Amino acid sequence: MADMKTAAYICRGCGIGERVDAAQMAKIAEKEGKMNLVRSHEFLCSASGVQMIRDDIEKESVTHAVIAACSRRAKTEAFHFPAIALSRASIREGVIWSQPDTPEARETTQEMADDLVRMACAEVKKMKVPAGNPDVGRNKRILVVGGGVSGMTAAVEAAKAGYEVVLVEKEARLGGWAAKLWKRVPYREPYRDPADTGIDKLAAQVQSDKRIKVHLNSTIARTGGAPGRFTVEVATESGAVAAEEVGAIIQASGFTLYDATRLTEFGYGRSPNIVDQAGLEKLAREAAAKGEPIRRPSDGGEVKTVAFVQCAGQRDATGRHLPYCSGFCCNTSIKQALYFKDANPAVDTVVIYTDLRTPGNGEDFYRSAQAKGVVFTKGKVLSVEPTDKTLTVRFQDLILNEDTAIENVDLVVLATGQVPNSGVNIDLPPEEQEKLEVKPVSILNLAYRQGKDLPQLKWGFADSHFICFPYETRRTGIYAAGPVRRPMDIAQAIEDATGAALKAIQAVENAELGRAAHPRSGDLSFPIVRLEGCTQCKRCTVECPFGAIDEDEKRYPVFNESRCRRCGTCMGACPVRVISFENYSVDTVGSQIKAVDVPDEFSEKPRILVLACENDAYPALDMAGMRRLTYSPFVRVIPVRCLGSVNTIWITDALNSGYDGVMLMGCRHGEDYQCHFVKGSELASYRMGNIDDTLKQLALETERVATYEVAITDIERVPQLINDYAAKIKEIGLSPLKGFG
Amino acid sequence: MTQAVATNQTILVVGGGISGVTAALEAAECGKDVVLVEKNPALGGRTTMLYRYFPKLCHPTCGLEINLRRIKANPRVRVLTMAEVTGIAGTRGDYTATIRIAPRYVNGNCTACGACAEAVETMVDDPFNYSLNRTKAAYLPHAMAYPLRYVLHPSIIGTPDAERAKAACKYSAIDLDMKEETIKLKAGAVIWATGWQPYDAAKIQPYGYDRFANVITSVEFERLADPRGPTGGAILRPSDGKQAKNVAFIQCAGSRDENHLRHCSRICCMASLKQTNYVRESYGEEAKSTIYYIDIRAIDRFEEFYAKVKSDPRVKFIKSKVARIAEDAKTKDVVLHGVDTEGYHRYANTHDLCVLAIGMEPSVPAERIPAEVIADSSGFIEATPEGSAIFGAGCATNALDVNRSVQSATAAALRAIQVINQVARAEA
Amino acid sequence: MSEALNEQALARYRNDFLKEVEERVEEGEWVKMCMQCGVCAGSCPFGPHWQHSPQKIFMMIRAGKREEVLTSDSMWMCTSCYNCVVRCPRQLPITQIIHGLATYAHRLGLAPRDQPTRHFSRLFWKNCTRAGRVNELKLTLGLYFKDGLVSGIKKAWALRNIGLGMLLAKRLNPFELIRGHECSDKAGIQKMLKKAHELENRRRGFQE
Repeated sequence: MADMKTAAYICRGCGIGERVDAAQMAKIAEKEGKMNLVRSHEFLCSASGVQMIRDDIEKESVTHAVIAACSRRAKTEAFHFPAIALSRASIREGVIWSQPDTPEARETTQEMADDLVRMACAEVKKMKVPAGNPDVGRNKRILVVGGGVSGMTAAVEAAKAGYEVVLVEKEARLGGWAAKLWKRVPYREPYRDPADTGIDKLAAQVQSDKRIKVHLNSTIARTGGAPGRFTVEVATESGAVAAEEVGAIIQASGFTLYDATRLTEFGYGRSPNIVDQAGLEKLAREAAAKGEPIRRPSDGGEVKTVAFVQCAGQRDATGRHLPYCSGFCCNTSIKQALYFKDANPAVDTVVIYTDLRTPGNGEDFYRSAQAKGVVFTKGKVLSVEPTDKTLTVRFQDLILNEDTAIENVDLVVLATGQVPNSGVNIDLPPEEQEKLEVKPVSILNLAYRQGKDLPQLKWGFADSHFICFPYETRRTGIYAAGPVRRPMDIAQAIEDATGAALKAIQAVENAELGRAAHPRSGDLSFPIVRLEGCTQCKRCTVECPFGAIDEDEKRYPVFNESRCRRCGTCMGACPVRVISFENYSVDTVGSQIKAVDVPDEFSEKPRILVLACENDAYPALDMAGMRRLTYSPFVRVIPVRCLGSVNTIWITDALNSGYDGVMLMGCRHGEDYQCHFVKGSELASYRMGNIDDTLKQLALETERVATYEVAITDIERVPQLINDYAAKIKEIGLSPLKGFG
Repeated sequence: MTQAVATNQTILVVGGGISGVTAALEAAECGKDVVLVEKNPALGGRTTMLYRYFPKLCHPTCGLEINLRRIKANPRVRVLTMAEVTGIAGTRGDYTATIRIAPRYVNGNCTACGACAEAVETMVDDPFNYSLNRTKAAYLPHAMAYPLRYVLHPSIIGTPDAERAKAACKYSAIDLDMKEETIKLKAGAVIWATGWQPYDAAKIQPYGYDRFANVITSVEFERLADPRGPTGGAILRPSDGKQAKNVAFIQCAGSRDENHLRHCSRICCMASLKQTNYVRESYGEEAKSTIYYIDIRAIDRFEEFYAKVKSDPRVKFIKSKVARIAEDAKTKDVVLHGVDTEGYHRYANTHDLCVLAIGMEPSVPAERIPAEVIADSSGFIEATPEGSAIFGAGCATNALDVNRSVQSATAAALRAIQVINQVARAEA
Repeated sequence: MSEALNEQALARYRNDFLKEVEERVEEGEWVKMCMQCGVCAGSCPFGPHWQHSPQKIFMMIRAGKREEVLTSDSMWMCTSCYNCVVRCPRQLPITQIIHGLATYAHRLGLAPRDQPTRHFSRLFWKNCTRAGRVNELKLTLGLYFKDGLVSGIKKAWALRNIGLGMLLAKRLNPFELIRGHECSDKAGIQKMLKKAHELENRRRGFQE
């Protein structure tokens, strides 16, 4: 590394100069850190301070710099030097703000600052400015799987932005669910009357757009590659297979209506006069085609009374049906009741519901239906019984508090829910797959090591962060849109598909530049593997939360950099440590751990390593500092991309070099996980579960390694955890390994 | 930054809440130039003032941290804070926006060291905590504020306090001569994402928000539960600081009501269900929550969360729109009067605290938007007005929860990009 | 007359009580707009004294509970305070509907016979329509002697001091008992009322 030129900049501002000896820090940077250039400044983030650094980069050819000032989260605009490798030592938040300003504390505070300088110097020397992933794909076409409202909208919207689209639909015609409807729920003022579906217009738009290529009667036989370079085999019903090259994929495979034959309690199948919402749409369209009113299916008799059973097979606590609410069905029943009322106000329509869910302007539609005479009854339907020609609906009236019945009902509509068409649940063990009554058919047929379809979060919905980042899935460059992502109505599906089209466009643009996608968007680093050291253990390929790594014939990992989210889980998993990033590696962290000055066993000064998730635990520590909450001076904090990236070698290294304890702070995992890399913190906790053996081998107490779930709001809790842990270490005594490391 | 260079290939995003930030980032990460305008001194909007999100009970600041990192890393997003768009002229693909920037009195030198706050004596209402507490007149909006820069409250300008702040700052970051300025920006497309505000609870007279100390709104309750809030996360009632263990939640406070807000605000049912968790988190077995509702609108996958809360014996559900609230003059307890409509039971229930699940209204009503927009009867604007490139996003368009706001903002970003790409093609 | 009306309604509306109310009860077309929030029930100062709240009555109408609704005494308890109306989130004219229902039940002869409010209303109507203005003395006495001579005398005796006081203050004129003063165009008033009655019957489809 002949051309590496290092520099350290020590800031004395914000009280650093008064609280710690900056000259000593400078000396450490120079002597121990071996920095080529060391400068101190009274106000480093000022124009003159920044200019000083800039000049050094330009005139002195500084390539690697340490900034010992405030947290890496502060003053990011000032300290923005993308061309060099940069390590920031948090002297302000991490030292002087988190330590008491007392004469007694002065010594340990100084030691902390000195160590942070040592660590930053050690780290920066191991870092490289990421050069960017050379294996970029430049294909910018977008594949849309599914030709319903969601798929067609995604196609049209992407095309409008200038992108080419390939749309694959398994049926012979476009339209999906919406094409089966007679009308749709109104989506703009005045939210009063059922509206035209507009589906024919949309389909015509798709078919006439030169940028959109449509494959009908087709499914995806195979999807391989990565963002920017997916190769897709489109299989047509006739047996022909077409190859398509695309850059990103939108899965808009929609939903299937819940199987009403399972609703024996509501008599489905026992009378043709009991239909689901799809059945009613069919009746409505047929009637409209004939210009006649909807008739009773059993005998063509006049329909005088219609009852709608809400939440049929949904919101079910028994485990027999869908546990969730499908969200669209209240408005749909209102719309369907209006099919009758608008045609003939004399028809009685009753909607039996437990909670009527018409949020937003749906309230207007609800009012409109009431005004037109649709009756709403809060109740629980107990049974639907066919009688001679009609039906009896028995229900518990929750307002009048009685079991009652509506007799002579001509038609009963069951508002059943949406089951996402999400393909194969790849997380289900093979023996469980075997047990399934209906074998799911894969949608994407991904040629990925980890399975054929998008991983599912719950109940088949294929997303991963459904609050803040609803489009993110665990397969980079593949986005779910419409009811396959979450139960939804047409209006939401249109919005959803438009957003998904943006994400797909973003994926192809970033793939071209070799940049990471969410959550490390723009990151140019990528995992580099030294295959000659690889033992083909497959841990990386199995553990990667994003299915980025495949295996070749010899079972060596094949990294698909454009599929990678840069969390470092593979690096944490690798037992032989052959995986690294240019600016984040076993070495960048390991060398920091080793750089810390570990006092001998007589000093009564333990050293505790804290590996903190950079997104939650580390900011919490920062904010604790901002609030001047103090914690033990014996901790040395290193932010990590994700706890999943923590390689156990760091822990054994730390313990071997005389650290007295290691705290790992990551995000909540399991149900309602908060890990941004979905599985990172869970894997870390799993790995740490096995660390006890290592500790026993080292003849150390198991308490010397502790894992915590920390949230970003744990501003008061984090210092407390540290202090409790420091007390614990004091209690069990300093490490017997000191001095042997 | 006052001189933001922008062209008709720039996207102007108005509003720096979750929707605006999302729209700006999603567009910028597609390679587009964005100017993000926020009227407050920091980005993040109302979600930063929430303690937890439903249904995962995770923290909004967690997502905020990711988004702020994205902003810090992306030079394509330029942020203007304390700035308001006062006019938008022009047509699709060629707009000129007029932006008024209020003086912050603190420049880019600020290191957020806090010396000015220590020096200043004047206290002002803390907007971050819905004025439930007071803060120094030199303040950091909150710990995760971006930009991480202090603000001087205008009320101290010209007073000795301002001079004290100036004197305390070693870094010449305080500039008392800052003046309001107006700039003009070009933009090809505009995303209007000015979000929502809680409906004025005092207008719901029978609930006595303006008369009874222990009647508060759901957004205020978030601040009570939040460790960053005025009570440090302790759920203490305003009248006497007593632990509020028996809490009533009134749904549809303002919403679904022709006398107030005609629409259903969508989020309030889930918000109250979530807030029952706060009570339990604080008081365990002693916690008692009662939800007074018309319909529980735990739509789609949220149903699971509702089912979970419903199975908790410490949470009671009463199907009733509360008729009125009275205050016990001595204890300051609140007494809720009404009828449980399921089977008809009259009640007069005493609670320590009553939380009004307050409705959402657009924070900038359509008639005050300085551009041509189409609005519905609630004042929400249309996301995709025909012929125009002023796109609505987030709660400016409807009462939305976070995931729907993000969805709407992402869609709006694409709509803006379509316009920008058209402009680019035309100019190429 | 009232029985005929009732049978007529029964024939016409079969079991569709909601439609009957919509067509025949003042403001009855609003009943369907209720969303069962119950704020009216909780807002009524007479709440504890009646059997069915307005919201429940509306639900009973939708459920076709004709007999129960029309014979209920709840409608007769309304004091027209309008609390329910100002609070109703759907802006239903609840007070008017309640009075409308009471009137309708009365016309059909189904309203509870001995309900005091109904008795008073009937007295009041007779009293004021006869002469075009209210004869307070007759109205009061009519009310006192509602339950018979002995009970009437007892009530009057209990309030004798007030009566005397009013007499002295010239707020009570015993000669009103003989004839009482009347409005100048009594026939005109009655003609007008008759016309109004006819109009209403026509509008509501009553045939008498």
